[in-house]
Amino acid sequence: MNYTVINREVQVGDIYLTAVTSSSIFLIGDVDTIHLSSAFDTPPESLIIGPLVPLAPKGS
Amino acid sequence: MKRLSMVQQLNSKTILLSSVLQIGDSREITTRSNILAVQRQYELFFGNEGEGTFPVFTKPIPKLDVSVPLHIHRLNESPVLSVRSIYLIAASTASVVHIGSTSTINGETRIKHIRQLADSSSTSSIPQATIHITKDG
Repeated sequence: MNYTVINREVQVGDIYLTAVTSSSIFLIGDVDTIHLSSAFDTPPESLIIGPLVPLAPKGS
Repeated sequence: MKRLSMVQQLNSKTILLSSVLQIGDSREITTRSNILAVQRQYELFFGNEGEGTFPVFTKPIPKLDVSVPLHIHRLNESPVLSVRSIYLIAASTASVVHIGSTSTINGETRIKHIRQLADSSSTSSIPQATIHITKDG
């Protein structure tokens, strides 16, 4: 597949950002390849109601 | 050829947890971050937690397979990317803030959140915490 990009003039004023998090990027420039992944696990069983015991100690 | 990035002013407060602030060109950036966040009803920390593995930290994440050969032609009519100012509060958890060009960026974050609440019937037998913090200090 052939893909042509024409980059004309880019002039940006002010950028206000609160946060860039969890494998995100904020880029001013050119790039060839980006690979970003983020796994977030909060299943129902992540809410444990019961005795306050240690979680996943060694060997478990 | 890659373009020139021009930023007159950058104001950033915090860069943390495997994040990168790169000013200038780079070739390859790889960031990794594994987070286990435990919130408990009481101030308790046992010391040896999270040493066992949760599947979220070990499961392979599939990569996008580009099966079609890609030919990219870039025509840079203007060789400059210009920004007057950037105000950034925080970059966190394997993120990248990059002023300049690069070739490859590779980032991976794995987060596990656990909330632990005491059983309403067992609140009378709260385990002793090593550090006790109260609202009033």
